[in-house]
Amino acid sequence: MSRALAGGAALQRALGLPGSPKTTLERSVGLVVLTVLAAAPLVFNDFWIGTVLTQTFIFGIAASSLIFLSAYGGMISLAQTALMGIAGYIVGNLVTERIPGGETKGLTLGLDPTVALVLAIVITTAIGLIFGAVSARSFGIYFLMLTLTYGVIAYYFFSQVTQFGGFSPIAGINQDKYMPPFIGDVLGHPEKLFYLSLGVALAVYAAIRYVVRTPFGLALQGIRDDPVRMASLGYYVGLHRALAFGFAAFLASLAGVLYVWWQGQIAPGNVYLAATIDLLVMAVIGGLRRIEGAFVGAFAFIVIDTYVRDVKFPGAEVTGQLPFVGGSFNTVIGVIFLLIVVVSPDGLMGIWDRVSRLLFGRGGRAASRPSTETHEPAPRASS
Amino acid sequence: MRSNLPRWKPALVAVAVIAAGSVAAGVSFAAPAQKEVRVAIMTDCKGAFGFGYELDIGGAQAAFAQYAGGKPKSKTKPSAGMTGIKVGNTPVKIVGYGCGDDTPATALKETRRLMDQLKADVMVGPLSGDEAVAIANWAKTHPTKTVIIGTAASQDPTMQIAPKNLFRYFGDGAQWNAGIGEIVYKRLGWRTAAIIMDDYSFAWTSGAGIIADFCAIGGKIVKRVFPPLNTTDYSSYVRQLPPPDQVDGYFWVVGGTGTGPALKAFEQAYGPLKASQHAGNLFLYFLSGFQDVAPRLIGSYMGGFGTAPGLKTKQARAYEAVIKKWYPSLPPGDGFVYNYYNAAWALVLGLQKSGGKVGAALQAAMPRELRPGYQVSNGGVLRLDSRRQAIQDQYPLQIVKGADGKPTVVITGFVPNVDQTFGGTFAPNKPAPGRTFPPCVKKKLPWQGKIRVVKNGVITTQFIK
Repeated sequence: MSRALAGGAALQRALGLPGSPKTTLERSVGLVVLTVLAAAPLVFNDFWIGTVLTQTFIFGIAASSLIFLSAYGGMISLAQTALMGIAGYIVGNLVTERIPGGETKGLTLGLDPTVALVLAIVITTAIGLIFGAVSARSFGIYFLMLTLTYGVIAYYFFSQVTQFGGFSPIAGINQDKYMPPFIGDVLGHPEKLFYLSLGVALAVYAAIRYVVRTPFGLALQGIRDDPVRMASLGYYVGLHRALAFGFAAFLASLAGVLYVWWQGQIAPGNVYLAATIDLLVMAVIGGLRRIEGAFVGAFAFIVIDTYVRDVKFPGAEVTGQLPFVGGSFNTVIGVIFLLIVVVSPDGLMGIWDRVSRLLFGRGGRAASRPSTETHEPAPRASS
Repeated sequence: MRSNLPRWKPALVAVAVIAAGSVAAGVSFAAPAQKEVRVAIMTDCKGAFGFGYELDIGGAQAAFAQYAGGKPKSKTKPSAGMTGIKVGNTPVKIVGYGCGDDTPATALKETRRLMDQLKADVMVGPLSGDEAVAIANWAKTHPTKTVIIGTAASQDPTMQIAPKNLFRYFGDGAQWNAGIGEIVYKRLGWRTAAIIMDDYSFAWTSGAGIIADFCAIGGKIVKRVFPPLNTTDYSSYVRQLPPPDQVDGYFWVVGGTGTGPALKAFEQAYGPLKASQHAGNLFLYFLSGFQDVAPRLIGSYMGGFGTAPGLKTKQARAYEAVIKKWYPSLPPGDGFVYNYYNAAWALVLGLQKSGGKVGAALQAAMPRELRPGYQVSNGGVLRLDSRRQAIQDQYPLQIVKGADGKPTVVITGFVPNVDQTFGGTFAPNKPAPGRTFPPCVKKKLPWQGKIRVVKNGVITTQFIK
């Protein structure tokens, strides 16, 4: 093992990567996790492959779009679930067909699945750019409210405009005939979607890491920290923020497409306020400062949400009632999330940062950490 | 500051953490070996129909207690659970209760939890219309699992979707309303009416039954209004209805927690309710807010729930006695209790015939006939059609003043053997009920002119005139 680490350290040096003990440990953990995931069908049962882990990657991608905006752009967006849903609705409306025994809701255009996939990503990204352009001059709570409005509009649009589906779900989207040929049957082979989601999640992670190091990403972080100064230096603050929102919409669209391929259905409930809050909770309990937090938070959320309700609490077997909280498992889940955030405002990744400081001292801390603070600029900054 | 830990320690910690996680995930959460039939009960514990949770579970478990030796852990709280269920030599385990909120997204999430994670072989449920649409589509891609709908009454699951592993032992929302249009046409003289209905699958199906029945006899629907499900302020929607002097009557298909607020909004817009001008589906009586406006609706007619509370037949009394025996606080005449009870009973019969086998064997063995409490036609036998959908007797209701002076409902009519096609109005190759379907068309329905009068719970030989 020490050889492997030494080899890893040499590789780090060769690549010019910083090599603090904490970074080394994190990369080691990452490698082990990836190794385990690569061999997942040998390690986990079908439910974990097809549901827990695949969902983790899908919602992790969506949460990473939220964390990207938050950590590097200073924008906490409540529109990511809506954007994810828009992509899902586009796929659902475009690929399904109105044939006997087929779908009865939505446009049922029966387009080629690959074309639908491309259109879903392109249209969602375009909508994200529009959303971003409209809200680019808003900061703080006003930005939050505007993005919440996008989510509410999406919900009412899809539940009220029955041509696009209405309150009922558009279903059967992940049938073999509606999947792009290069992906194939995901119903009979759920591991395909697992690996696809894993691959997309890795690509999204790498893309965000790359983007934040480009001149655009650095300018975005400058705008996050001091939009007035960046404006005075000649940067177009609004354009940068709108482009960042468009990029995040692109990431959310990937999550949306993967979601309908996984779930097979899309309904207004998928873009409802509760779903929006769920995604925000994932990001918050993972930690809004680091992209890794998106996946850690999604994993924690899904595991807690899946398993807590089936835990048998002592003394509650007969009445079904838990002490203080009655029969509501949602209360228990809420308390767990609350505890995580109270113990560590930076979520689970924050706990890890603290543990690593104990292990390695402050020298193990990452060289730079993105901020989640949103800054209220002087009024002129937005002009 | 440099770490004092040797370089290999972090990696060792990481490996240990991941290994422990993997073992926990792979071992602890692995599916148990199947030695029993695993059953899930899917219902709602949140949303507009969250009140149905105990009613649904109680109904299903009463059947397991009566026909499969189940022992309730609590006679007042069905969700406390049940043990000892056994069909022949096969133990049956209730692996979990689904907690829906009437949305398809949550229903699907719960279905995955119950069927994939908890490895249920059979699901009894769901409760609500769009939930059933989502689950029927899910069932289509999971042919080894069996779904017996609890009380969800949208048309699509057994008409347009109709997977072979899905069964429904009661009428859909349209079937429940058979006869109501003819009754208001003949008894109240309605010729024109407006309809206000929740904007989702069940209400569309329920409204479709009213529209088809009323138009078939010669009535005209002049306006259709669609408030979203879970609306709380109905003022803007009732204002879209024509005023009372421009229409003979109104059909209300607004349910859940919305019935009362919708009717109150109507009163605020157009003045006190006049009973002879209002009719509706089962929501008019059974749901919240009723007590505020109920006194002004005494005399109104409404569609049923496939149930016949107060019906004086031996079969009905036997059924009601079973419910009272196992869960004394549950109302046997409530459709939530009745429909879940029949679904679970059918499952027991199916398992008896299949010898405890599940999957295709159980689906082939599921009964095509049942003797539910409120069925009268065919010697009390309810039959399934080729799409595994019940052909069921229906009972239009009327709101009357009870012995205590409070409003209550009585059966006012008997509509025999109502099938899902509604005399050819609906078919697998026709659109599912929606905002514009079915159109208002005069036609002959099988039960037209044959609705029998029910007096004091007894089906008479007289026809509704």
